[in-house]
Amino acid sequence: MAARARATFATIGLGAAALALSSCGGIGGISPIFPTPVSPNGQDIYNTYLLISIPALIIFVGVEGALLWVVLRYRRSRQPAGYVPPQVHGNTTLEIVWTVVPLAIVLAIAIGSFVTLQKDFQPIDNQQMSVTISGHQFGWIYTYDNGVVVDQEGTLAGDVPPFVVPVNTLVKLRFQGTDVIHSWWVPAISGKTDAVPGYDNFSWLKINQTGEWRGECAELCGAGHSTMQIIVQAMDQTDYDQWVQTQLAAKHATPSPSASPSPSPG
Amino acid sequence: MAATTVLPRPKAYDDTFFKPISIWLTTTDHKLIGIMYMVTGILSFVVGGLFALVIRLQLSQPNAKVVDAETYNQLISAHGVTMIFFFVTIFLTGIANYMVPIMIGARDMAFPRVNLLGFWLVPVSIILYYSGFFTGGALDAGWTGYAPLTEKAYQSHSLGVDFWALSLIVWAISGIMASTNFLTTIVALRAPGMKLTRLPLFVWAQISTSILLLVVGAPLAAAMILLEFDRQFGTQFFTTQGRPVLYQHLFWFFGHPEVYIMILPGFGMISEIIPVFARKPIFGYISMVMALFGIVFLSMTVWAHHMFTVGMNTYVEFFFMIMTMLIAVPTGIKFFNWIATAWWGSIEFTVPMKFVFGFMATFLIGGLTGIYLASVPVDTQLHQSYYVVAHLHYVLFGGSVFTIFAGLYYWFPKITGRMLNRKLGEWNFWTLFIGFNGTFLIMHTLGLEGMPRRIATYANPAWATTNTIITVSSFLIAFSVLLFLINVVRSWYGGEIAGNDPWGGNTLEWATTSPPPPYNFERVPAVRSFMPLRDLKDSGEFVDPEAMPLPA
Repeated sequence: MAARARATFATIGLGAAALALSSCGGIGGISPIFPTPVSPNGQDIYNTYLLISIPALIIFVGVEGALLWVVLRYRRSRQPAGYVPPQVHGNTTLEIVWTVVPLAIVLAIAIGSFVTLQKDFQPIDNQQMSVTISGHQFGWIYTYDNGVVVDQEGTLAGDVPPFVVPVNTLVKLRFQGTDVIHSWWVPAISGKTDAVPGYDNFSWLKINQTGEWRGECAELCGAGHSTMQIIVQAMDQTDYDQWVQTQLAAKHATPSPSASPSPSPG
Repeated sequence: MAATTVLPRPKAYDDTFFKPISIWLTTTDHKLIGIMYMVTGILSFVVGGLFALVIRLQLSQPNAKVVDAETYNQLISAHGVTMIFFFVTIFLTGIANYMVPIMIGARDMAFPRVNLLGFWLVPVSIILYYSGFFTGGALDAGWTGYAPLTEKAYQSHSLGVDFWALSLIVWAISGIMASTNFLTTIVALRAPGMKLTRLPLFVWAQISTSILLLVVGAPLAAAMILLEFDRQFGTQFFTTQGRPVLYQHLFWFFGHPEVYIMILPGFGMISEIIPVFARKPIFGYISMVMALFGIVFLSMTVWAHHMFTVGMNTYVEFFFMIMTMLIAVPTGIKFFNWIATAWWGSIEFTVPMKFVFGFMATFLIGGLTGIYLASVPVDTQLHQSYYVVAHLHYVLFGGSVFTIFAGLYYWFPKITGRMLNRKLGEWNFWTLFIGFNGTFLIMHTLGLEGMPRRIATYANPAWATTNTIITVSSFLIAFSVLLFLINVVRSWYGGEIAGNDPWGGNTLEWATTSPPPPYNFERVPAVRSFMPLRDLKDSGEFVDPEAMPLPA
């Protein structure tokens, strides 16, 4: 009786865990995947994530199911009295199968990932414009080809000036670190890239719609780490041109144009 | 008087713990040293858990001000350092120190005094690390201590980093001593008949772990020594003017194998426990051993998968990606062999067996999320986010901690002579299983939504509900650990007397008394397979150690 109650309890527990994972998508605010990407490289990452999810979910359901079956079927209380289990020491065929099948699966995942890697993670040179993003304790400075500078000095609330790009424009991003290592991450656009002192890192974006997206620094960089908020805004070309003019006018109106805007780390 | 050679002997379980302090301080008995390792580990677990509770309180609501950002950074660093260096690794060294010599039929470790020195370096290491708190603040750059954040230019207000670096150097030396000792013991002191192909899988796991720590302990110490040179003597190894990424290479060349140092002994325990309670021999003994060595080799070739965002050549990234994914193959072999061992079994769901199945159910999730993280493009999204925090806790909590509990419930009767209370154990398991999954399952989604790890607070209201659920669940884990501590203390005093072989074991530790005498065996039993005790019981040759005549 007690054994049966325990069996039921075990079933409910393991079942609930499985259900919780599979039903993540249904609960508001709890997402099983990244935000909908707005840049092709982000889209490729999203697709790779989906590709991995197919075997991952099958293996998850299969193995948890097998565990549940073992828990329910092979407990001593469910076996006939005096049952002596077969003394099996192994089975070469089975063992080869569960070596080769996972091997094939991970090789497929690795090749799929490598295609995306070669496609999206090489430094590009066909960009339509480029921006240098420099991280410091605690904020980001964006220097455009045309002389515009956006200074996202960090605040926790994230009320920082946006880093503005035109839509449907291939923008090359160059990352620099001036003090410690920072990492620039806007999940809706693409993955993160580290801003490391000593060498330049590269990434790119090509946003397909107007709008505003948030991100923040992903590499612990000191007490102000959580204030290194990011806003990226994509505008139509005409709005963008106007924004550039406003920025340049404001810059020339300022009495002391900031030649080297990054504050010294002290 | 009857002419019998059987002498009455004191009930050993009455005096396991209550020994004069001088004995604890000077003992070279591997069992007492093992107990001290384990107690140190459990105390660290409690301390590290308290840090985690403060962290969770701080994150339970947006813009919370339970602690300030600088204190928060010290807390997350202390949580990681305590759990990884002072709890899991130390506890597992302890349980191996206790069990390995007995399981191979040895009287003690090969170098008992090195064992004593190696253990006493651990409190030195722990005291060094916590001393940092009294110098204006301990390490505040995360447990990985990435340069240049740990360099003098950015961390000059305290000696926390210096004390941490010194602590890890001492810790690495202690680990290298223990590993050398384990390997020598297992090579040289096996009982007659205990061929390598008859070693219990827990002992094989300890061989693998020792090889890993022996190889990667030195690079860790090297990284710390170079960092100290930078901080104290003005060198430029990892500074803003130097090569910060070199630090990451050195650290992760240690850091990734360290993950396996913390899980392989657990794999070993699972391989011991399932056959006993399923009443079946382990399925695929040879492939289990080969899988262990596959993991040992692969784990030393994957370190840069922690660095996919620093900007490496894509072919280099491909190498580290594929090596990382290949680890799924030997790990999968172990998983399938465990399930096959239980299949057709007659399984008794004792508390240790519940923890074994809890481990398999949760570790699987950690393994699968590991595949996502190994894929370079996907990793650039998930890296340094709460997805990684969830993943690593599925591996180290769902993995290591569940196996540690399984091992403790399994071997506590041998170590103390008394059973852990079953009812409290059931409560311990279910509260831990529910609390753990409640804490870490939905944490994956925070990372997917863009919450980076190691942020002291956040303004985004969309993350509030999830974080509150996580914090509430984390207190259920704390409650579970409290039940466990109560169970250990109560059972050690007045638990049910276990007898020598309460579970019907297969291996040699169950062939001696509980607890074993200082010399472990009156007479080392014959070994004919990897289940020597079962062979003796089956053939009727087994002699109760209580009734065995004392050696002349």
